[in-house]
Amino acid sequence: MAGNNGSGASEKKSSESLTDLPIFSAENTQSNLKVIYYSRTFMSIIGGVISGILGFTGLYGFIFYFVIMAITSVGLVAKAKFSIHSYFDGWNRIMLDGITGGLMSFVLFWTYPFLPLTCFSSA
Amino acid sequence: MGIGFAVGVLGVLLLAHAAYSTIQYRGLLKITEEEFSGPPINVVVELLLGLVFSMWAALTVPGKFLSIHPDSEENRIVSLPANLDFMIFNHRGKAVLSGVNMKLKH
Repeated sequence: MAGNNGSGASEKKSSESLTDLPIFSAENTQSNLKVIYYSRTFMSIIGGVISGILGFTGLYGFIFYFVIMAITSVGLVAKAKFSIHSYFDGWNRIMLDGITGGLMSFVLFWTYPFLPLTCFSSA
Repeated sequence: MGIGFAVGVLGVLLLAHAAYSTIQYRGLLKITEEEFSGPPINVVVELLLGLVFSMWAALTVPGKFLSIHPDSEENRIVSLPANLDFMIFNHRGKAVLSGVNMKLKH
């Protein structure tokens, strides 16, 4: 996968040759994205279980989800030893990828296993 | 990898125990007819421990990040050939090559 890191215009100005375009290793990029995806999915499941046990309802649960995802992002950055650009092609990859996908697992594990716990015990 | 997985299993077991404690606590509240405002403090501590352990597992188990630059340390191919012990430089070609060099000089 070949991509330029957002400074294509200045690069073209500095040199016309194609060899100056940064070329990323495709397999390693895919592997890194897969690692991030696994981490986020697992953390959203764990976060769902925890917010279900704590008994969050409504907006507080979603706020809790985004807090968990922020902590996970910080953990991933720490795992990349704070040098994002040697492992990813941008900050969005490590900060935002997989958050909407994990939301579905979060809601499932937030509500479903504790439905008897919250519904039938209060009834 | 193995240690991370074990820590993750421990974290999930802690979460399961915390869920069981909460179910029991809610049953108790139902008997005494009080409102649920939050789990007891030992369950909260257990949840935090489980969160930390699971976070550890989530960050270590899926594997390491690999560098995406083709010219970085890990991606560069600088391995020596495996048959170094069988390479001989002290042979008669030495004389031939030195002769060639002398010819080139003159």
